Amino acid sequence: MTETAETTGARDHGLRLREPAHRVSPRAVPYWTVQALIVHTIVLAVASTVYFTLLPERWWWTTVIYGLLALQALVDVLVKPRVRYAVHRWEVTPTAVVARRGWLTREQRIAPLSRVQTVDSLRGALMRMFDLASITVTTASAAGPVSIDCVDSATAERVVAELTEITGRDEGDAT
Amino acid sequence: MTEPSLPPPQGKPADLPPPQGQPADLPPPQGQPYDLPPPPDAPPPPAPAAVPVGEQWRQLDPRMLFLGPARTLLSLAVPMLVAVFGFGQGGGSQMAVRFAGLFATLAVLFGLIPWFTTRYRVTSGQLQVRRGLLNRTVLTAPLDRVRSVDLEAGVLHRVLGLAKVRIGTGVDDTRIELDSLGRDAAAELRRYLLRRIEQTVTRPAAAGVGPEATGPAEEAGEGTELARIDWSWLRYAPFSLSSLAVVAGVGGVGSQVLGDVDVDETVVQDAWGWLTAQAVPLLVLAAVLLVLLAWVVVSTLNYVLQWWRLRLVREPGGTLRLTRGLLTTRSTTVEETRVRGARVVEPLLLRLVHGAELFTLATGVGSGGTTRVLPPCPWTVTRDVGHTVLRSDRALSVPLVRHGPRARTRQVIQTLDGAVLVTAALAVATWFLDWPWPVVPAGAAVALLLSVGVGLLAYRNLGHELTEDHLIAGSGALNRSRTVLERGGIIGWVVRQTFFQRRRGLATLVATTAAGPEQVEIRDLPLPQAVALADAATPGLLDEWLLPAGDGAGRGRHRS
Repeated sequence: MTETAETTGARDHGLRLREPAHRVSPRAVPYWTVQALIVHTIVLAVASTVYFTLLPERWWWTTVIYGLLALQALVDVLVKPRVRYAVHRWEVTPTAVVARRGWLTREQRIAPLSRVQTVDSLRGALMRMFDLASITVTTASAAGPVSIDCVDSATAERVVAELTEITGRDEGDAT
Repeated sequence: MTEPSLPPPQGKPADLPPPQGQPADLPPPQGQPYDLPPPPDAPPPPAPAAVPVGEQWRQLDPRMLFLGPARTLLSLAVPMLVAVFGFGQGGGSQMAVRFAGLFATLAVLFGLIPWFTTRYRVTSGQLQVRRGLLNRTVLTAPLDRVRSVDLEAGVLHRVLGLAKVRIGTGVDDTRIELDSLGRDAAAELRRYLLRRIEQTVTRPAAAGVGPEATGPAEEAGEGTELARIDWSWLRYAPFSLSSLAVVAGVGGVGSQVLGDVDVDETVVQDAWGWLTAQAVPLLVLAAVLLVLLAWVVVSTLNYVLQWWRLRLVREPGGTLRLTRGLLTTRSTTVEETRVRGARVVEPLLLRLVHGAELFTLATGVGSGGTTRVLPPCPWTVTRDVGHTVLRSDRALSVPLVRHGPRARTRQVIQTLDGAVLVTAALAVATWFLDWPWPVVPAGAAVALLLSVGVGLLAYRNLGHELTEDHLIAGSGALNRSRTVLERGGIIGWVVRQTFFQRRRGLATLVATTAAGPEQVEIRDLPLPQAVALADAATPGLLDEWLLPAGDGAGRGRHRS
């Protein structure tokens, strides 16, 4: 099927990109949930204090705002982590690193390994509790870093080592 | 950083011994370092005498001892005057004079610091610049990372025969600045650094056009001239809003000056009353004419100041050089293989008179890698010059492929929020200000029509195309722009779909690059077309990622 794409060129319709092969770690869902819980607990605590005790009168629009905040908290805690888990995917091939992410707006980023400049991995405090790590692969363009969120740390270590090894071989970053 | 500290250099150092193999912690050279004979052990490239090659640290031009203090004095002039007059009114004119003296002395001292603390040298394939009095930093740039060299000279610089040198390296935002060298030394340094480019970089044949016109005897930086200012272009000056910033600045100063003028307000009120009674329309007309006239004058003046003696030259050795400016002269030189693309912008006003502006996209050049190379001028000129720079014969003139009816609907819907905002604002205003209610539907209708018009315009300007060497993206509603990116400069892809784009089967395709704005965006392209375009622009890269549609292509409704 790939041959069809090559032979018919740019005007060929009906193409799309294959999904990257790997999902992120399943522990990403509880991690994102806990993260959202922490943030929204703080936000809602502040909002509730203002709404229930500080306001001289509960105008209708403050109720609307309070309701929206609560709704957003619900969505962020219950829905968003699951959607993100379903969307997020990544793969490192011998020629490129590819990641798909997002939940409402989705992005698939492709960076050829020959153009990779740096490979970073990040493990925040909360991420360590879930034994997760994130990888960011940058090229010479500020617009194109490929981030792989929340894979388990052993995989992350292996991928980073692999990427560093491959990219060390190539010269030239097309700057 | 690890350098042993220098003895304070303000003494009167003895004449220098020959500079060969000198350790860096000796007293710095004084006098005219540029006239010293080249160090005998200079590296192979034939360096003229003025080029600072060798172990020895060089200083900025001694004329900076005058320019530095002069500049700080000028920049402090306003606060100083305020202070002096402030004290003067308080009665302590003695104090005022003393304070002014103190200020001036401090200013002079601060102005002197850069000259004493900055050193630079070119050694073992690197350009090194050392700065700082207490915290010493050494900036190091390998010569083969040098991408561009800018020379800039303001009025003071030119009177003194100085020029500021800015050296762009492959890494953006870290331009090395030497403020300032003598004009000749700066030119010599520029030539040297860029000749090194030629020697160190094995240049891939840029875009496949034959060898450039390298005149054998053109060592001195002459080359093929690609463009030169044509004063008939001045007619485009009033149609470009790029002078607006200047006007705003002048306006700000003007209002401050006027605000300080003491006016008897009752007189003003009387005069105003009389005038309003007499001739409001006439007054308005006069004001409009005056503003227009002022605009024409200011924009024309600005144009002349900026673009005086504009020349764009392709130099032997593969560099592009742009020189311009009446009072402040600027010269930008960039390695041509680093110019990865171009952008032609046609703002609405300029488009009415068939004018356009040309930018180049490069790596390691100031202000986001985007350099304005032509002033507002006829579109045909931007096209021709752009084509020469890009070494293409159609990238700027091919008609673009439109993105189809779904993209059109989306463009129109996207511009509707303006109309919604206007309507809401009108509704609120009507509610609170007791305006007659028909204002709301009338205003909404006008806003709707306008925004649909803008949306359709945005759709007409939206498009893409692929030529042998370039990826082309068109965008913009009122400001039409076309961005051309060399296919070899693409270093990755992003396919982005917002929620609404997914519902329509559209996608935004972003080609990432190191040059210019670091990305070229093609918006609202049907997804299959986006994938096919990316595949065709970088053959091979996406091979293992392509899937034909059909086998459960998801919820995207791809009809075509």
